[in-house]
Amino acid sequence: MDTILHYAWLIPLFPLFAFIVLVSFGRQLRGGASSVGILAAALSCVLALVIGWQSYQGAASEKVLVEWMNIRDTVIRVGYEINSLNAMMLVIISVVSLLVQIYSKEYMRDDERVPVYYQYLSLFAFSMMALVLSPNLLQLYIFWELVGVCSFLLIGYHFSKPKAMLAAKKAFIVTRIGDVGLLIAIILLFWWTGSFEYSEIFKTVALGKMEPWMTTLTAVLIFVGAVGKSGQFPLHTWLPDAMEGPTPVSALIHAATMVAAGVYLVAATYPLFLDSQTALDIVAYTGGFTAIFAALIGLTQTDIKRVLAYSTISQLGYMMLALGVAGAIGYTAGVFHLFTHAFFKALLFLAAGSVIHAVHTQDLFQMGGLLKKMPVTGIAFLIGCLAIAGIPPFSGYWSKEEIISAVYSAQRADLLWIAVITVFLTSFYMFRLFFLTFTGKAVSQAISRAKDPSAVMRIPLLVLAVLAVLSGFLNMPFAPLLENWQLAGDVGESIHFAMPEAAELHAPWLSVVSVLVSLAGIVLAYLIYVKKAIAATWIARPLPWLYRLSNRAFYLDEIYRYGLAVPLRGIGMLLDLFDHYLIGGLVQLAVKLANGLGGLHARLQSGQMQTYGLIVLLGIVLLLIGITTQGGVSFGQ
Amino acid sequence: MSGQFVAFFILSLLTIGGAVFMISFTRVVHMVVSLGITFLCIAGLFVMLDAEFVAVSQVLVYSGAISILMLFGIMLTKKDDVEPKAHRNKRKLISFLLVAALFVFVFLGIQASPWPNPEAAPQPVEQSNPKQIGLAVFTRYVIPFELVSLLLLVALVGAILMAKKEDGK
Amino acid sequence: MTVPVTSYLLVALILFCVGLYGALTKRNAVIVLLSIELMLNAVNLNLIAFAKFGLHPAITGQIFSLFTMTVAAAEVAVGIAVLIALYRNRETVNVDEMDTMKR
Repeated sequence: MDTILHYAWLIPLFPLFAFIVLVSFGRQLRGGASSVGILAAALSCVLALVIGWQSYQGAASEKVLVEWMNIRDTVIRVGYEINSLNAMMLVIISVVSLLVQIYSKEYMRDDERVPVYYQYLSLFAFSMMALVLSPNLLQLYIFWELVGVCSFLLIGYHFSKPKAMLAAKKAFIVTRIGDVGLLIAIILLFWWTGSFEYSEIFKTVALGKMEPWMTTLTAVLIFVGAVGKSGQFPLHTWLPDAMEGPTPVSALIHAATMVAAGVYLVAATYPLFLDSQTALDIVAYTGGFTAIFAALIGLTQTDIKRVLAYSTISQLGYMMLALGVAGAIGYTAGVFHLFTHAFFKALLFLAAGSVIHAVHTQDLFQMGGLLKKMPVTGIAFLIGCLAIAGIPPFSGYWSKEEIISAVYSAQRADLLWIAVITVFLTSFYMFRLFFLTFTGKAVSQAISRAKDPSAVMRIPLLVLAVLAVLSGFLNMPFAPLLENWQLAGDVGESIHFAMPEAAELHAPWLSVVSVLVSLAGIVLAYLIYVKKAIAATWIARPLPWLYRLSNRAFYLDEIYRYGLAVPLRGIGMLLDLFDHYLIGGLVQLAVKLANGLGGLHARLQSGQMQTYGLIVLLGIVLLLIGITTQGGVSFGQ
Repeated sequence: MSGQFVAFFILSLLTIGGAVFMISFTRVVHMVVSLGITFLCIAGLFVMLDAEFVAVSQVLVYSGAISILMLFGIMLTKKDDVEPKAHRNKRKLISFLLVAALFVFVFLGIQASPWPNPEAAPQPVEQSNPKQIGLAVFTRYVIPFELVSLLLLVALVGAILMAKKEDGK
Repeated sequence: MTVPVTSYLLVALILFCVGLYGALTKRNAVIVLLSIELMLNAVNLNLIAFAKFGLHPAITGQIFSLFTMTVAAAEVAVGIAVLIALYRNRETVNVDEMDTMKR
């Protein structure tokens, strides 16, 4: 059975094949298009699960490389690699992708361009799987860009909506800023180590052949790439806007997989970060700041998907925070949270999708009382909320617990405060969302007619709900299965090598505190939005600017617009003027010169024979002048 | 002032006058008529130069055939075409300047050249002019003469072929 | 006292210049053809003047002018035929509109 790892390269090929089929025959397939996509996703899902199981059982990591380019002494190879980290990523990606594709079959039923939608989804699944399978940075970068393109295409799927088009452009451009950082990092690493391979790079770093400052620089630049992709502060602004895409897409790309690619990248290049405390601190503080920052914004959003988007940013910040505090436990905690978050956030998005599908609005205050109308959706959403709030025994509790105790073990009081406050904020805004949507009175006609979606949409919800409950049991403090799995490979060794673990500080009281804090958030939300014991505006009224600050996402979009975009556009216009008048003028001059000369010659060749005759006459006269002045004939005897 | 001079002046005045009128008239038919006068007067000049046969040929060919042919040409195309007055003035100016320059230079050349004294020219010989020409044409220049007749024949056939209406039109 | 040869040459020169000017400026192709005839006549006049007053007076000048006349007659016949054919196809005899090869 060990040989099954040899077939890992098949996993991304199924969606690629589906993509090719859909591009070629999508139009003819029409309704069958979804079946093609789902079948391919199911096949790769089965294979990924088997491989994940194998890897979990302790199968040695597998790496296959073939030569791609041979540039003098440097050989650039392509191939695939299976280790514990990307086996886990493959499981997440293929499971969520399969469920989302099944869900979309119903969700997108009335859409005209279903084959195109499944094309994009399949292409995305392919690129994302290939991304995590990449054994070197070059290959990773190719697929990194490819998932960016898929994200762009899917956000702009409703391209007739100008908002969707703008959001797609924004997502593409903002993530590009991060991608440039990653590209520079890859180039620097290649320059210093002469290789794109992870293992080679890590070996060079471990041997101390790289200057410390260079290690820090490259690690930070890689993190910049992760910041762009994972929507960390300050490049997070694209993610809320990306909610313009279809909801299943948000669930797949902008909650479970692609945005987690940034976390994956940091995890995959972790040995590099371990070598630089500065880089780790940057990761930890950026993550922590993003977590609390996005949670604050999430408090006041009124669009159901935007709340979820900010909560995604916040949770990704959590993962970064966990990775940043380092150590075996931090690494595991970050990866573990990535694992559980993928399931419960996809669940939340899909449940929100069914709500939107039923009531045709995304405004929280247009909803209410949906729990009775849509019990399955409501309970699924509740499970998601409990998981993200970190209430035991839901999965979020275990992973969040890990993170908090990792921060505590690292003895970082400031980060610990941030983490705990974020727990409170998270549970508050998530239950605000839940209460506003599912309890209270129905506000509109559409709501009274709303009912649970059909089985096709229900099944993915149920599966994800089960996963959201159960996935946490993979790694309990007393049974760290995931930790053992993830730390089995080379990465674990290098972590242990880099920091001989300060014994993990077990603090049972910490767990109790965080659960209590979380419960406090829920109770507060309950008091405000259900009992109405506290007016929702009790903070907003005395301090309206505070509310506005949060609601407008701290005006970051505006700051970017007026601080960056407008001056840049001004410079651009200046340069454009320069280009238009100076360089363009020179070009125009050359053109005019050539044109004029040509025109002059064309004028000579006018086809007017009398003009020709005139010119002949001119020649004769000149000849005569020449003869009479230079020749033998002289005037006047 | 001998009669020869008087005749020369009148003839050359008419010749040049006809030519200038040809240029300055606006109606095409008038131009052809004034040029006919020029051709006739040139025939007179030929007579003065002891070239009676050529003079007669000139009257027949130019004043007769060519002028009539031109009239036919005009009538078959645009009957009362008028040269626009103020038309292509720039071209006219340039043409005039260049032609004037040519005139000046050639005139200076003529003036500067040493010409044999006309008094010393040999008096006309006994033989009549047509006989002289006939002798020269049929002895020394017989081959060019035949070639020219061939040329005329070709021109005749070609002209007919070209001016003929094309079939099916 | 006879008329000097320069007088004949001068008349011929004036005729030639007038003909040249006409050939260069007139729009009507028939008139252009006529102007060319005028230039040929000027040349004939020169030939005949030299046949009498040249350095070597001989009948050859007259013979040449006869040839010129013949060729000119042939030229006019063909020229007029061309013009008529052209007029039938293009409805014009203006030389400045005869630039099909250019366009």
